[in-house]
Amino acid sequence: MQNILLKTENLSKSFSNGGVMQHVLKNIDLELYQGDFTVIMGASGAGKSTLLYAVSGMDTPTLGTIMFADTEISALSQDELAVFRRKHCGFVFQQIYLIDGMSLMDNVLSAGLLVNKDKKAVVDRAKELFASVDISEELYEKFPTQISGGEAQRVGMVRALINQPEILFADEPTGALNSQTGLDVLNTLTEFNNQGQSVVMVTHDMRSARRGNRILYLKDGVITGECNLGTYRHGDMGRHEKLSAFLSEMGW
Amino acid sequence: MKSFLHSYLKWGGRMKKAFIIACSNFRKSKGQMISIAAIMLIVGMMLNLWLILQFDYKKNFDRNHDKLNAEHVMLAVSVNSEKERDAVRKLLAGIMERDGRTDDFYMDEAMFGYGSFECNGGAINSNFIYLDRETAVSRPIGQIEIVEDSDETSGVYMPFIYKSEDIAIGKEVKITIGTREMCYTVCGFTNSVMAGSNNCSVCELVLTEDKYKELKKMAGQGENMLVSENGILCSVRLKDKADCENYYAMLQNKLRTKYPSAGIGGNYYTMVIQARYISQMICAGIISAMAFLILLIALVIIASNIINYIQENMKKLGVLKAIGYTGNQIIGAFQIQFLSVSLTAVIPGASLSYCIFPVINEMMISQTGIPYQMHFLPVPFLITVGILVGAVFLTVWTAVGRVKKLEPIIALRQGIQTHNFKKNHVRLEQVRLPLNGALALKTTFGSAKNNVTICISMLVVTLVLAFSAVVTENVIFDIDTFINMIVGETTDSAINITHDIEDEFLQIVSADERVEKVYLYSAAKVSHVDGEILEATIIDNYEELNNQNVIIKGRFPKYDNEIAIAAKYAKRKDIDVGDEIVVAIDGTEGTYLISGFTQVTNQLGLDCILTRDGYMKFGHVNFMTYSINLKDGTDVDAFNTDMEARFGNNINGTINVDAVVYAGSLVYVQLMTMIVIGILILSVCVIAFVLYLLVRTRLGNKKQDYGIMKSMGFTTKQLIIQNSISFMPPVILSTIIGLFVSSVVINPLIAVFLSGIGIVKSTFRVPVGTIIVEGVVTVIITFLILCFMSRKIKKLSPHALLTGE
Repeated sequence: MQNILLKTENLSKSFSNGGVMQHVLKNIDLELYQGDFTVIMGASGAGKSTLLYAVSGMDTPTLGTIMFADTEISALSQDELAVFRRKHCGFVFQQIYLIDGMSLMDNVLSAGLLVNKDKKAVVDRAKELFASVDISEELYEKFPTQISGGEAQRVGMVRALINQPEILFADEPTGALNSQTGLDVLNTLTEFNNQGQSVVMVTHDMRSARRGNRILYLKDGVITGECNLGTYRHGDMGRHEKLSAFLSEMGW
Repeated sequence: MKSFLHSYLKWGGRMKKAFIIACSNFRKSKGQMISIAAIMLIVGMMLNLWLILQFDYKKNFDRNHDKLNAEHVMLAVSVNSEKERDAVRKLLAGIMERDGRTDDFYMDEAMFGYGSFECNGGAINSNFIYLDRETAVSRPIGQIEIVEDSDETSGVYMPFIYKSEDIAIGKEVKITIGTREMCYTVCGFTNSVMAGSNNCSVCELVLTEDKYKELKKMAGQGENMLVSENGILCSVRLKDKADCENYYAMLQNKLRTKYPSAGIGGNYYTMVIQARYISQMICAGIISAMAFLILLIALVIIASNIINYIQENMKKLGVLKAIGYTGNQIIGAFQIQFLSVSLTAVIPGASLSYCIFPVINEMMISQTGIPYQMHFLPVPFLITVGILVGAVFLTVWTAVGRVKKLEPIIALRQGIQTHNFKKNHVRLEQVRLPLNGALALKTTFGSAKNNVTICISMLVVTLVLAFSAVVTENVIFDIDTFINMIVGETTDSAINITHDIEDEFLQIVSADERVEKVYLYSAAKVSHVDGEILEATIIDNYEELNNQNVIIKGRFPKYDNEIAIAAKYAKRKDIDVGDEIVVAIDGTEGTYLISGFTQVTNQLGLDCILTRDGYMKFGHVNFMTYSINLKDGTDVDAFNTDMEARFGNNINGTINVDAVVYAGSLVYVQLMTMIVIGILILSVCVIAFVLYLLVRTRLGNKKQDYGIMKSMGFTTKQLIIQNSISFMPPVILSTIIGLFVSSVVINPLIAVFLSGIGIVKSTFRVPVGTIIVEGVVTVIITFLILCFMSRKIKKLSPHALLTGE
């Protein structure tokens, strides 16, 4: 029996578009488990990113509850949500979103020092994470505009993991990268997941989705299907076929 | 024609494209444009106000001067007999007829003497010229205009400047002439351009025929009234009014040489225009300084706005260039954007000055005493618009010049070359600051252009704050320094006695238990042989004087061959301490060594100090004035009345100096209070506008950064404080430097402002404590304004910030 990390009940999100209400998420009941690599898939406009940002406390739901352990995060104020995010969540974005005015090291430390006041410990962990994603020491003082997209995304992951979050949320993390750098990023995510890091990833890329052990399919704001792929192993072709079959079934 | 049409259409097409870009930029930066417009509105208003005050307000003096065919030189003479009066008249007529500079002159009978009356809770003292109504209004030169009349048939027409609650038509005014107090009903008010105020050296009072005859009869009966029935009022118009000063000195010198005992008073065009427009000069100076300082801030903001825009929209500019827009079209778009904003603000701003002007006009009329009819002035209006539009055009041209050279590919790469040399000034790994402080400091270092804007704005604001602190301390709260600088020596009572009773007077006054100190401080006139008539003060011992700061260079005269002269006059005549000058006293010339320079504005920089021995070497004293310091709580008027009763006709007049000084200074206090309140409000507005623009730009530029930081877990409060703190280093630094520099330069600056009234060196106390408090309050207010303006961060969810919604 896996531990439930996060649970939603009747989660709904609506937007008003020119006076017309658009229901992007409709009564979603969802449980996310510790240690899982959950992948949310679906067509464009299905509500994948909206679901990710709602459950991570980046956006507020219109209706429903979101429970993280004993905390109802859907009832928290904006500042309480900020504190929740810094302690429990890490984010990796498609557009990477490093702060241009800060060096790579400072991008990471600005997140780390927010939670841990022990500067030495934070710096040590940052260096350790940098090493694990193949970012060399010479790059620490470079600025985001001075490195490649793949390097920037790996720095983004270091920043997301600096506070040892319970969940790492990734929104299309390979979307802006070329094939090889995208693969590197996926390998890194897989490696962290193998070390026990819970990951929730939104993607519409099958190659990326294969890395997850649990695939959720979202259609018109509703989770229409779920597929369990088991732990990722390199070269496991059966995994690909199983995912393809699931997605075909979902109308992908 | 075809070629012209072709060029026009081509130009029109280019401008149309520029106009499209301008509209797009305007839509995206409505807030900034509105703030720039607000600042330009203030600048337009102030600049137009200054131009009206500077150029038309003084012309009003000339308009009135021409209307009344007023004199360029006025001389009032009083002698002892009718025979002597006729001789003086003949002498003057001869001199004036022979002098080629004379255009026309007119002389008639008038009474002339010293007097005082109560006004605004204090006493007005002056040499008054008493004229009867019919004579006054029908003088062919130096006519007096009745500006307010009534049905009252017996009484006095007062100069318009004294119109107040106490001095109003139908009310009674008590005029002390010598030791006699005359009670007159106010029949109306007069406008006399050359002698319509006590600061014109002589002041004309118009009496109805019966009252004039009554006064003449009393003077003729030998009443000791310090007024002579045998007086002449001589008015001269010159071919060139620039000669007035020398002409006046020439007339006085010749008259004094021939009739040393004659009472002589008078003035000339340049002296009067300066004396009557002191407040206008101060007010215009302050308004112009403020206008140009705020304009400087506005231009810095516009430049910074453009530079920021280019930085942030490099890619967009690259796209525009790539699809064929020329550098001139892009520059034209900026010109259209900022010039249209400036024009739409400057025109209403200049118009708004006409709404504010009545308040200033009322204040000024109470100072000049010359009515001014407000009317639209196209030239100042056009100059205001021209200066501001020109300044904005040049600023935009300079700031946007970089776009012309920008290559599209560099722009498309977002000027990436410029990033290669970026420095990390605040490394989080090393810095010993709390995280939010360190991140704020990082932002500060990354915003050099904003910092320059802040620094310039704060330097201007601190200069204004230092000025307001100095004025508040030295004029509004404790006026003593101001009075010492303007008036020179102040005391409680001044008593003019005949020379014969001096010993007895001193014995009795010194023994009076109410008296703290009695010392000679007597007025006389001397002529600088190569120059002008100087108002001399005769003293026994300078150490007895209350105000030792009258001397601003060198020292008081100690010996009988020494003289201290006005610094302004010395500067004009290129005379220094240690030089010798030839001075005529009662017609006899003698050489004196200049021991020091004085600074007293009463005589507009035409004064000197001599020792009694120094004066008596050549001169003769019939009357002398003693200054008396009384113990605290003593009733000055009661003391003066006692002395008058005791010495009878041997006292020619007494003055309650406190009351006189109070009345004279009240208008300055009121004027300065209004100016200080005005500039403080203006300063807060300027700070708020500048900060609004900067915060808005910053939030626009850093919207995504704040989104990222919110997603990382920074709270709204942390980001608001971080954003606000990031502005504070330049604010604090420029406030400290600004206040320090302002404290040092404020006195020289004030001296420049007041140079017109004879101030060469300003000795105002600089209230360090108040300035420090002002600095702290400014910093706190700035921080609070920043926090208030940064609260917009709260409204945005991290998701929206990230996606730039």
